[in-house]
Amino acid sequence: MPLLMPLLVAALLFSIGVYGVLARRNAILVLMAVELMLNAVNLNLVAFDVYLKDVLVSGQVFTLFVITIAAAEVGLGLSIVLLVFRNRETSALDDLVELCEDTDASPTVPR
Amino acid sequence: MTLLLAALAVLAPAVAAAAGLLGGGRWPGAVVPVALAGTGVTLLATLLLAGQVVRSGLGAPLAEATHLATVPTGTVPIGVDLHVDGFAALVSLAVGVVAFAVQVYSTAYLKGDPRYSSYAAFVSLFTAAMLLVVFADDLLVLLVGWEVMGVCSYFLIGHHWEQEDARAGAVKAIVVTRLGDVGFLFGIFTLGIAAKSFNIGQVNARAGSLGTTTLTVATLLLLCGVVGKSAQFPLHTWLPDAMAGPTPVSALIHAATMVAAGIYLVTRLYDVFLLAPATLATMAVIAAVTMLGAALAAVAQADIKRVLAYSTVSQLAYLLGGLAVGSSAAAGFHLLTHAAFKALLFLAAGSVIHAVGTNLMRDMGGLRRGMPVTFVTMTLGLGALAGVPPLSGFFSKEAVLGAAEETARHEGPVGAWAGWVVLVVGLLTVAVTAAYATRLWLMTFFHEPRGAGGGPRATAHDPAPAMRWPLVALAVPTVLLGLVGLDRHALPRWLGLDEALHIGVVTSVLSVLLAVAGAGTVLVAWRREPAADPARSLGRAAVVLAHAFYVDDLYDRAVVAPVRLLARSVGWSDDRVVVAGVAGSGRAAQSAARALQRTEAGNVQAYLTGLLVGVVLLAVGVVTLR
Repeated sequence: MPLLMPLLVAALLFSIGVYGVLARRNAILVLMAVELMLNAVNLNLVAFDVYLKDVLVSGQVFTLFVITIAAAEVGLGLSIVLLVFRNRETSALDDLVELCEDTDASPTVPR
Repeated sequence: MTLLLAALAVLAPAVAAAAGLLGGGRWPGAVVPVALAGTGVTLLATLLLAGQVVRSGLGAPLAEATHLATVPTGTVPIGVDLHVDGFAALVSLAVGVVAFAVQVYSTAYLKGDPRYSSYAAFVSLFTAAMLLVVFADDLLVLLVGWEVMGVCSYFLIGHHWEQEDARAGAVKAIVVTRLGDVGFLFGIFTLGIAAKSFNIGQVNARAGSLGTTTLTVATLLLLCGVVGKSAQFPLHTWLPDAMAGPTPVSALIHAATMVAAGIYLVTRLYDVFLLAPATLATMAVIAAVTMLGAALAAVAQADIKRVLAYSTVSQLAYLLGGLAVGSSAAAGFHLLTHAAFKALLFLAAGSVIHAVGTNLMRDMGGLRRGMPVTFVTMTLGLGALAGVPPLSGFFSKEAVLGAAEETARHEGPVGAWAGWVVLVVGLLTVAVTAAYATRLWLMTFFHEPRGAGGGPRATAHDPAPAMRWPLVALAVPTVLLGLVGLDRHALPRWLGLDEALHIGVVTSVLSVLLAVAGAGTVLVAWRREPAADPARSLGRAAVVLAHAFYVDDLYDRAVVAPVRLLARSVGWSDDRVVVAGVAGSGRAAQSAARALQRTEAGNVQAYLTGLLVGVVLLAVGVVTLR
């Protein structure tokens, strides 16, 4: 199989992921989009590992690492989303703006 | 033993000062005993030292030095050395006696003063510093004592810091003396580096091999410090203003001891000064100008302490004149007698001020009936000041004039003209001195009580015993110390000097006549109108003299005003340029930040979009521009 196929699929997956992260309002869907991006990278890693015939199969090893970390990340992310939802009864990202810069009370240079 | 006494004399008041400063507030009852004990130990130690000096007059002169420690500096090392000779021992005795008298006197004079504990501690610290100067055998150790004295002087002048004139006087004293001390420091460096040692003995020994230019430069620089500390023209202006301090302080620091330290330093380095005739000539001129100018200024002062202050300046000029014409024995003699009678005069003036509650002589008068002890002791002091034989001041002043006459006749280390200058001006000053002494005496003690509160003043009486006895004690050397001069070799031998005092018959008769003339003139003016100030008969000149020839005003115009202007413009530029620049850059950053603040709206996805756009742009840039 030519290298192009998995790369195309990976690019497509990554783009969907980017779109999902940037455009979806629901925090859970954003987390899923992040998973998509990670899996696109995994696909790339495996494809290049095969293509380059790496003796140490480092691409596949890396993929295992990424899958593990992604699982941990989703667990953490979902629990945060759950707590946010319990406190605010919403998980829409554009409502969570408490950390924005307060434009009125800006510090002044002493005269 | 000798050196142990010297170290004890320095350390005891230093310990008392530390105790007073640290614990004075907590145990107010212990302040007086601690201060008296510290100074008392000094008095005993210096008395024992002086006893050795007198005994050694029969055998070898007293001279001992010890080396306590070396401070390596990389170049010329500093040695912590002590040195005791006859001169140091006698000067230290003068310091010890006056300091003890002043401590006793102060217990009554400043009774109930809220800051008495720090006052007594600073007087003790001053005593320690002065004795360090006297006993130091290393120029830099001497400098330490010299500067500590200056700081104590500053604090004690400003003792009543609620008053504007006390603050101003303290600042003026430290600024003006500091001006001289800059030269002093560089003089020490010049001398120390040229001689490759800061040890005074070694510097004196190597003076011959240093070259005239080095010696002249070094001694002239040292002379700056001497002129500042000893209040000689043109740096004399701080001493009259220092009179804002308590009177006992004026007696100790600004009459008897600290101001004499400059003169003492010259005697310690006299071998160096003798090899620099140009410096000696400068000293003669400065002495002549100061001597007569300050005496004339004293004639028209309204404040009794300022009369004595100008008198001190004038008398110190005699010391400098004596050194300029090559007689450190005569200068040392006058230093000792002056310490006694001027301390007495200040303490007596303090008791007068204490009784009448004013410094102004026009509000005094008629005090001889109510204050017999003060009257008699002050009369003796004024007599010594005016040079009435056989009081002490007469002999010591004649010794200075005799030395000047010797130089004028036979040349000496300095040209004959310098001898003539010191002699003639010295004789003229004798007349003026007698005049202002008589004026002070008449206006304070004779006629009827004057001034707005004349009624209660009539009941003015002698002060408490603690103030009375120091007067009596100081009156003894005031009367008797001069008799040492009858044997022309005794005092120089005690001082460890190889010279004799010259008390010429001609100059003696002449100066007595001049003194009588000066005193008589004032007496005649006073008899005509006893209630008025005899200086009034001088007319317009009295105003010039009362302002001390407007030297202060000249300095105000020529130095103080330009410096103030400079300071104001520096302040303005600091405010308008430096501060404005800093604040302006801060404000510019802030307004720039306000535009960026808009983008920080809190939407995480918007941030990420920005990040993505940035990454894409960078990637495209890297690919295309490669």
